[in-house]
Parts: sequence; C-alpha cells; structure tokens
Amino acid sequence: MKRLWVIFLFFAFWMVPALAGAEESYSFDLAETDKKPYHFGGYVEFKPILFGLDRDSAFYKIRFYDDPQGQTLSEINGRMQLEGSYEKDIFRIYAKTNTDLKSSYSGESERTTFYELYGSVKPSSNLKFDVGKKTLRWGKGYAWNPVAFVDRPKDPDDPELAMEGYIIATADYIKSMDGPLKTFSFTPVLFPVYDHVNDSFGNKNKLNIAGRFYFLLYDTDIDLLFMTGESRSDRYGADFSRNITTNFEIHGEFAYIRNFRENTLDANGNMTSREADARSYLIGVRHLTTFDLTTIVEYYHNGTGFSGDDMKNYYAFIERGYDTYQTTGNATILGKARQMAESGYGRSSAMADYLYVRFSQKEPFDILYFTPSFTWMMNTEDKSWSITPELLYTGITNLDLRLRTGFLFGDGNSEFGEKQNDYRVEFRAGYYF
Amino acid sequence: MLKIIMVFLSLLIALPVYAVDGKALLEQVDRNLSPESYESYRKLINIEPDGRKKEFTLFTVKKGVDKVASLFLAPASENGRSTLRLGDNMWLYIPNIGKPIRITSLQSVVGGVFNNADILQLDYTAEYDVEKVEEKESEYLLYLKAKTKTVAYDKIKLWADKDKKLPTKIECLTEANMLIKTLYFKDVKDFGGGIVRPAVIETDSPLYKGYKSVIILAKVKKKTFKDEVFTLTFMPNMESLR
Repeated sequence: MKRLWVIFLFFAFWMVPALAGAEESYSFDLAETDKKPYHFGGYVEFKPILFGLDRDSAFYKIRFYDDPQGQTLSEINGRMQLEGSYEKDIFRIYAKTNTDLKSSYSGESERTTFYELYGSVKPSSNLKFDVGKKTLRWGKGYAWNPVAFVDRPKDPDDPELAMEGYIIATADYIKSMDGPLKTFSFTPVLFPVYDHVNDSFGNKNKLNIAGRFYFLLYDTDIDLLFMTGESRSDRYGADFSRNITTNFEIHGEFAYIRNFRENTLDANGNMTSREADARSYLIGVRHLTTFDLTTIVEYYHNGTGFSGDDMKNYYAFIERGYDTYQTTGNATILGKARQMAESGYGRSSAMADYLYVRFSQKEPFDILYFTPSFTWMMNTEDKSWSITPELLYTGITNLDLRLRTGFLFGDGNSEFGEKQNDYRVEFRAGYYF
Repeated sequence: MLKIIMVFLSLLIALPVYAVDGKALLEQVDRNLSPESYESYRKLINIEPDGRKKEFTLFTVKKGVDKVASLFLAPASENGRSTLRLGDNMWLYIPNIGKPIRITSLQSVVGGVFNNADILQLDYTAEYDVEKVEEKESEYLLYLKAKTKTVAYDKIKLWADKDKKLPTKIECLTEANMLIKTLYFKDVKDFGGGIVRPAVIETDSPLYKGYKSVIILAKVKKKTFKDEVFTLTFMPNMESLR
C-alpha cells in the first residue's frame, strides 16, 4: 500500500503540472482595469561602478591633483524616484521626485529634487494646459537633440534616462484632418527665468517664449520650433522623422542659434569671448533586421561646440596649472580650470562633430527579454572614441538588470583620451513598483 | 444539343449565386471581431518553455479602419507607455524618454511572439486583399495577400467558422510561404452590445520554439473617439480616456 502511495504521489507531483499545462486556462482579473482617481508608483535603483583611472589625463588632474588615487576607483550609486498623480474631472496634478545617493572616495552625498511637478487642465481632447515643472523632450534624435531648446542636455551615454524639467506654463492644441496633412498641433511655452525659478538656465529676470508646431504630413513627422527671450540668444529649429520602409526610419534636426556667445581660452591661457551665429544639426537612421537587430546611426554637428584648437588650449592650461601646483603648491589655475570644466569644457559632447552607432540584438538565441547592445561613439575631429558593450535582462517582472562596460580610446589632447577614466564597469538593478 | 446549352447556361447563371464573395466575407469577419470604433482591455501573457510567465495589461482604443492606440496599465515597469498606429505609421511613447519614437510593425514592444502589428491590429480588409476562398464543411479558408509591402505579413491563411463568421485560426506567412506564426482564436464570448467574439487569442511560432503568447480580451464595447485622440501629442494623455 505504501508503495502505491509513493507511486501515486510521484505521478501526482510530476503529472499535475503537465495536465494543467495541457488544459491551461487563462484568467483576467477585471479589478486590474478599474480606474482610480489617484496613482502612485516608483522606481529604485542600485548601481555600483568601478572606474579604471587614466592618471595622465587632463580631467584626472583637475579632479585629483590634491588627492591622488590608485589604478581604480569604486563608487556605489542609489536612486529612488517616486511618482504620483490625482485626477478629478478635467483637472490633474502630477509629481515625480528623484533622489540620488552616492558613496564614493570623497564620502557620501544625497540630492533630492522634483523632476516634475505640474497641474493640468484638459477641457477637451484637443486642448490641454500645464503649469509647473515639466520636461518637454523636443527633438527626434536618439543620442542628441540640438532642437531641445527648453530641456536640459541629454546624456548620450544613457539617452533614455529620466530628466529634470523646468518650471513652465504650456499648452497643447491638436487638430486632426483628412488628406496629406493628418495632424497639426501647437505647443506654446512660457519660460520664466528669475531667482529660484530656472535660474541656472541663463540671464535672470526674463520671461522667454518658446513654441513647437507639429505636422504629420505625408506620413512624415515634422516639427518647427523656436525660443526667444533674453535669457539665452534666440534660436529656431526644425526636425523630422519618417519611415522609408517598415523597418527603416530616418530622422534629422537642425537648429539655428543667433548671436551665440562662447567663452574660450586662447593659446596663452587668456579667456576670450566671441559671438557668432551657430548652426547645429543631426541626421540619423534606425534600422531593424528580420532577426531583430536594431541599428541606430547618428551624425551630430554641434555648432556651439569647442574646436580642436580650443580644447588643446584648455588641456595645455590644465597641464600648466598642474605643473605650477607640483612645483609651488599653488592650485589657482587648476581651480579656474575646474570652473571652466563645469561651465562647458567638461560637459558631454563639448566639441563639434560626433558619430554614434548602436547595435542592439533583441532576444538572441531565443532568450526572451535578453538584449545585448554595443555602442560606439566617435569624435570625428580628433578621432578619439568610446565603446560600450551592454547586457540587459528584463525577464523578471518589474526588474531590469543591466551589466555595462565602457572603454575610452584616444591620443593625448583628444576628447576621450583626456577623460578621467580609461574604462568603467557598472551593474544596474532597477525595480519598478 | 439544346439540353447541353441549357445546362451550360444554367451553370453560368448559378455559379455567381453560390460563389463566396471573399471581400464581403472578410469585412464580415472584421466587423464580428470588433465594432469599427471601440475600447477594450487586454491581458497579454508571454509564456516561456519552462512555464514562466510575464503579463501585461493594456487599454486599447480604435477608430475607423486605420487608427488604433494602446496604453499599458501593468506591470509597473511599463505603466504609462502608449503605442499609436495611424495606417502604416507606428509610435511608442515611454514616459521616461518623454517623446514618441517611431517603431516598426515587426518589432515587439512586449517581447515574445506577438509583434507590434499583432498588438495594434487594424481591420484585415484595411491591409489585405482576398485572393481566394475555399469552402470546407464547417469553415471557410480565406487566402489573403498584403495590399502593400509595408504590411507585417505578406500572406495570411484565415480559417473562419461558417456560421459565426469568426476566425478560428490564422497562419501568418512570408512571401515564400514560410510560416511565421499561428494565431488560435478561442472561447467565444458575449461581451454585450451585440459583440460576440473569441475572448482568447493564443499564438505560437516556429521561430520561437516552445514559447507561447496569449491575449485575453475584456470589456470590449462600442465607443467613438475624436480623431485628435490618435495623435502623437495626445499619447502622454491616454489615461484620460478611461
């Protein structure tokens, strides 16, 4: 009898799942579809990073001249984003906070801010007004957006990151039509710059006006954009995106900036200021093969970027400051160089011409939710470059796991050759709730 | 001789009466699957060979033959994402990225066997011509050919129940007749308002051996929407339609 029970339990254990699979039925809990007036959600992230330092580089010297490091440096980052909304009739309020935590060689730091906080009124499906802190994310480019006049600069190293908005008042008017022009929309923006209101954007005590006209014309997305006011010089732009075939998309952006003022160093280390009209543009393609390989290629000309000579003067300035510090202990020049890094020379894509290529293969070898990627970015003027291999797994509900490395290559006096790091390895675990 | 001529003439007259009008039949299948304009909720389940599942909940609206949009409600990692299709144009809006990006019909925003064309399905008559119809005992077999090269599948074989005029099985094929995937329509259910259609669509594919994806429909109901709802500018606001 005991033997029979063992045999029964053995088959019960092995056969029940098989039978269940054979007669599988699916359920849909309708409570999931009930709409509540409020919504609450969030995201937490844990991201340790290992940097391989280039101790001869210019940016290593201005950061670590008084605190030399070894070959590598580790850092642990944490991020928490909370978002919530409440909706009643035609009114809605929305908030999204971001808290960044960092533990590195220099200690621990924390920064919390509202990424977005705005109220909306939506009297009809073709009209909406928003007031508060909001991101607009104008432009069609993946890695760069020269026409994103009212946004903070995107990080081409991680273009899909959430960004902090600006305090604005904006509206959306939409009109749909039959014929070649299927959609028209207009987004006017009031952009104030005062003490404690967007004060990092440009000249204070000014009310700037921006706008975007969108057209879906002959199956092509077209935007015409502008920003005028006195916080920054006036700028005008256009962008487009179109599918040439079902799996081949082309996009582009053009921005014209009047009287752009740029402060640069001359060969003697003296600051000079120049003012000229600038033209920035981007052209890109996105292609998908039948085996799910997505390729993105973009060329970006940054008309407001520094030339190769400007950067060489800056690197020479740092070298001079470093030598002075080594011989006299005087860090004045290095302090000035650090300020200049923060105001422009150290920003991402600070120079004029870049090429970006990204391959990402979705679910290779039938491994569901697994996406390896490979990104190559080159400064075409000084021929320095970076490669970023990446593995992403999203198979566990609400959990993203990403392992990514980055390697920088370039001679002395080149953009990627003078960055602080030679390589970096990072792991990111992000959980949505 | 006269008899032969009479028989021949009568056959000529009789044939058009009994031949199945493929286009009208496909239109009937489309209308039975959904009203021209409607809203619905869908649960999409991707099932891996080891039985592991990943589920998505979507709210979908459709208007006319070529406008359809979906909003992801769950899981939390996808919440707020929306997709829009206007004819051959498709976009994906991800709240973090903050702007719609163009996507293609062959991609899949959810992974698994269903691609974007399956999730943002238009009327079959909008994308396919009926090449021929075979009449079987209890089913029709419709051979469909894509109207343009931009359609996700070049050919489709659609088996439809003769009485209900609803699909029971669909095979999606390449131009060279290679099978891409098979859709199985199950569990015919009365959603109210005269909408009686399969509530479950299962799919498998020889390209994804062992994997299976399922769509379960709920709350399918007729509803009309303004055209402005089906625009890029409206994509971040889809939640307001629920």
